[in-house]
Amino acid sequence: MKITETIDIRFPKTLAEAVRLQASEKTRGKLLAGGTDLMVQWAAGVPIPKRAVSVWNLPELCAIEVFPDRIEIGAGVTHAFLRDAVQIHRHVPALIAAAATVGAKQIQARGTLGGNAANASPAGDTAPALLVTGGSVLLASVSGTREVPLAEFWTGYRQIAARADEIILAFRLPKKGKAQERFRKIGTRQAQAISKVMAASRILVEKGTIRSAAIALGSIAPTPVRLAEVEAFLAGKKLSPKLIDEAEKLAQATVQPIADIRSTAEYRRWASGRLVRDALENL
Amino acid sequence: MSTVQRTWKVNGKPVRVRAPAGRRLLDVLREDLGLIGSKESCGEGECGACTVIVDDEPVVSCILPVGQLADGTDILTIEGIEKKRIGRLIQAAFIECGAVQCGFCIPGMVVSSYALLAKNPKPSAKAIREGLSGNLCRCTGYTKILAAVKLAASRIPAAKRK
Amino acid sequence: MTKRTSQSVRWVGQGMPRVDADGKVRGTTRYVNDVDYKGVLHGVVVRSPVARGILKGLVPDPAFDWSPIVLATAKDVPGENVVVMHDRTMPLIAEIGAEIRYRGEPVAVVAARTPELAAEAARRVRVEVEELPPLLTLQEAIAIFKATPEKLDSMKSQDIVKGDVATGFAAADEIVEAEYWAGHQEQLYLENQGLVVFPQKDGSILAEGSIQCPYFPVHELNDCLKLPPEKIRVRQTAIGGAFGGKEEYPTMLIGYAALPALKSGKPVKIAYERNEDILFTTKRHPVWVRYKTGVKKDGTLTAIECDFILDGGAYLTISDVVMFRGILHCAVAYRCENVTIRGKVARTNSFPCGAFRGFGAPQAIWGIESHVDAIAARLGRAPHEYRRQIHARPGDVTPTGQVLSKENGSTACLELALKRADFAKKLKQVSRGRLRKGQRKLYGVGLAFFAHGSAFTGDGEAKFKAKGRVELARLEGGKPVVDIRVSSTEMGQGVHTIFTQIAADALSLPPAHVRFPMADTGLVPNSGPTVASRTTMVVGNVVHRAAQDLKRQIEAFASLRFFQGAPAELRASQLVAPGAKPVPFAKVAKALLAEIGPASGFFQFELPADIRWDQATFKGDSYPGYSWSANVAEVEIDPLTCELEVKRVTAIVDVGRVINPTLAAGQVEGGLTQALGYAIMEKIGTGKNGLYDAARLQTYIIPTALDVPEYDVKFVEYPYSFAPPGGKGLGELPMDGLAPAIANAVEAATGRRLRQIPITPESIFAALHAPQGGTP
Repeated sequence: MKITETIDIRFPKTLAEAVRLQASEKTRGKLLAGGTDLMVQWAAGVPIPKRAVSVWNLPELCAIEVFPDRIEIGAGVTHAFLRDAVQIHRHVPALIAAAATVGAKQIQARGTLGGNAANASPAGDTAPALLVTGGSVLLASVSGTREVPLAEFWTGYRQIAARADEIILAFRLPKKGKAQERFRKIGTRQAQAISKVMAASRILVEKGTIRSAAIALGSIAPTPVRLAEVEAFLAGKKLSPKLIDEAEKLAQATVQPIADIRSTAEYRRWASGRLVRDALENL
Repeated sequence: MSTVQRTWKVNGKPVRVRAPAGRRLLDVLREDLGLIGSKESCGEGECGACTVIVDDEPVVSCILPVGQLADGTDILTIEGIEKKRIGRLIQAAFIECGAVQCGFCIPGMVVSSYALLAKNPKPSAKAIREGLSGNLCRCTGYTKILAAVKLAASRIPAAKRK
Repeated sequence: MTKRTSQSVRWVGQGMPRVDADGKVRGTTRYVNDVDYKGVLHGVVVRSPVARGILKGLVPDPAFDWSPIVLATAKDVPGENVVVMHDRTMPLIAEIGAEIRYRGEPVAVVAARTPELAAEAARRVRVEVEELPPLLTLQEAIAIFKATPEKLDSMKSQDIVKGDVATGFAAADEIVEAEYWAGHQEQLYLENQGLVVFPQKDGSILAEGSIQCPYFPVHELNDCLKLPPEKIRVRQTAIGGAFGGKEEYPTMLIGYAALPALKSGKPVKIAYERNEDILFTTKRHPVWVRYKTGVKKDGTLTAIECDFILDGGAYLTISDVVMFRGILHCAVAYRCENVTIRGKVARTNSFPCGAFRGFGAPQAIWGIESHVDAIAARLGRAPHEYRRQIHARPGDVTPTGQVLSKENGSTACLELALKRADFAKKLKQVSRGRLRKGQRKLYGVGLAFFAHGSAFTGDGEAKFKAKGRVELARLEGGKPVVDIRVSSTEMGQGVHTIFTQIAADALSLPPAHVRFPMADTGLVPNSGPTVASRTTMVVGNVVHRAAQDLKRQIEAFASLRFFQGAPAELRASQLVAPGAKPVPFAKVAKALLAEIGPASGFFQFELPADIRWDQATFKGDSYPGYSWSANVAEVEIDPLTCELEVKRVTAIVDVGRVINPTLAAGQVEGGLTQALGYAIMEKIGTGKNGLYDAARLQTYIIPTALDVPEYDVKFVEYPYSFAPPGGKGLGELPMDGLAPAIANAVEAATGRRLRQIPITPESIFAALHAPQGGTP
């Protein structure tokens, strides 16, 4: 018997049922969406939970809603579904680009936006693109729904701000409007790559001046991070080659990456600045 | 452990399955249903040797707990591919182009090719590469596999193309 | 260029579809894990938790129920505890009181009804080891070697000496010296290792599984299992890739499985999952190679001095021969009168390295082909012009004193590669570290030129005398079929198809009449292992000759039985004789089977009488034949990120007679792609705990469909005429030269020479930029 067969998995039919299960320590289980992270971790020897609660295909988690100023993407939406939801592509293009780099087709068909966020890997492909929207996460529990800014969502290495009784319901993401977005991932190869460094940005430029800049990086810290110092430095400045040089250097001075099997600390530090340059040069 | 009972359509036929909810789809296919065409190589969703099609999307069956596949789920494995016209075109093209060597990745490759061509009968060269990028092959260097998918696509009757 | 070496050729030279393709595209081919072996026990190896130490004890957990478990230790080894490969140092399984030499060295084998129960039992054996400080990496060994050469713990040393390098250096105008490194590479066959050992009533064993060389275990486990060769029978199941990884390793695996199998009297299967397969099986040897070369202003190479040191891991196994092949490829492709090559196999406390496509040659060619570019750069010569001047061609003498025959297409490969890749023109467009007008990425083009020796080194084939049969022994569905009986295994490379073509031509029958059953030592003579780029050339010739022998027997029978003694000839599926009505082959074959019984054609391979080789001095004809190739790689490097993309690869190859152009091109494309991984992706280090650090497919990175460049593969044919149909070695050649071609292209793109593979964005960054970052 394979190890995952020993897990007691519950299959709630509705969100209400799911949050009720999660409300009590006696019924609560590890939340399992598409399984593309958890099933792998369990097979690789990460201790398995006694119970799991499947939120795969939970109807309340699978919708995308478009509002005048924002879109709301259910946590259970898969990367493949995002790829096919062309009506939202222009509102969050960095996120769409990021989702397209998750694994390959097979993983995109099962991996969900909520699962990618909850897994909270520093290399989670969609996190930087979510961060630069300045949006929030909706967390559901028996006591209702609360909203947590994405900037406060990833609290530490593989840690998130959700309580044990909460389920990620959706992502509430302001549309980019006139701002420009960009996503770039430096991976270990051209497909199915885990990132060495990646960057997402949402920058609003008016008449040559940067009105606002949101830039986030992945794989360079215990959590995905916004580059607050670089963003503050850029705000209100005229876009120029000199500014780009300075932003690149500032980013390199700001980050504190580590070395691991996929890259070196020196390269990650350098590439962090280079990806900031890339974002600015492509405005 | 929790056990589930499910009724799926596997390769067009209704199949009743009773298994631990956390049992991997690959194990149910290979061990319980005797469909040994899907292969296990990495056991962690990286290599695509276990690729099957679930409700029109290619998935890696080695990391899919069967409890999550509801009644009525439509599953297509390599054993069902030859019942499909596009499937037979793909298989013939693989043979003709010399796309097969050791063969261990090939069932997954054929299934991924089918998933691609069933949705997009006239894929670009890049779309073919992307469509197969979740299937690792260590023998062929992919070149003849990509050529085979292109050849199969060119033989899909025009009516099938969008 | 093709010489016709055999008459009535029909199938050789054609891209006939594979004979085994149908089952593979339909998913019906059965690999070892697809066979339902009723009643087998599942074996799991209990391993050392440290890289070096003294094994003090094995303590089964008293709280665990051992009644359903078979636990085998060194005490259960029936004979002498040794796996006899190229020395007698490696035990099958570590003994109490003995030294553990690598992390994961087997200390016990457990077997149980399910793999999960066996795995649990393996965890319940406490392995007590008194730890000793290990030497884990080649880097550490080379540091010792550089400080005090004689302190290197070398398991085998061998020199090649031609002329006198001191004289050569004295005559030189320039001395060019550099070191090159490469790390481990994992074979990464898609099908993991797996096999079953069935104990037989007579005390013998039958092993079946994913086994590349069925006759190896037959001769390597005799002492250990106390069984003569005839009591160890080995047969292959369908093999899901091997690349050398299932060459010598399955011997050990059979040994491990045999212990609980013999102890319990029940069949035992050991099938690895990916993680265990990467952690605890063989890899390509890491290498450190130092070249010191003397060269005159006019380009003449006056001296090549080379130290070539492989990381053999903890035991020699077959590493001596890997090193031999390595040193034989260190300087073979160039003209030079004075050569000294010193090869060594360093001992480290790591898993023994083993066979992997190329077998030492890729490591050697990685060094020399990088170095030839470095010499050309020193001389201010273009790399292709310089190679035109110094490359070896027919009539030249190799470092071991072998005179290259006319059957070497070296110049043809080089020239066609330069032409097809438009090399000279593209070389003018390279960036050399600075974007040219219109370039968004740094562009580089690089060349590598090399040979690969076909078949066993030296007089290996002369001594071995590969044997094979082609038999007419049975009817299938009422129709006579011919069986090829050789020990060559089908691993994906296509031997079942090309031997079918060869036999069909030799018999003048269509391939549909020919069968090639899976290799089984109980049924086939020993035609040798499926290794060393020897199969097409040597065993292909055996099949050709044995089929001709069978043809003569059929003709002789037909002559008497159907043509009143008139000479008969089997031609195009009919027996024909002058003035008589032809008789169909099927009719003759049935008559033969019914009236005389099975007919068997036999052949034993011999080398030409004038081949000479002195193993002691490493002088003489080091290989019966050489395949040649030139590779051109074009790369782009994004100056923004140092990301490297290989865009196009041109590969021109001379493998003699091309038996099946479709399959041959597939071999080249596949080998190039493994070489691509070796060059730019595949990185696996050793942690302080002695374990590989990239032991999953998520961390060990091989190329995907999106990573492969556009390939232009073309053949030039200089057949090996001594052994019709005239093929030379193909399998390993495409693995040999792409890494240095890419390194040379990276140098052209960046102006920096990288002397370690894989070449990654990190290493390009480190070469181009200051350690703490900043812009160029």
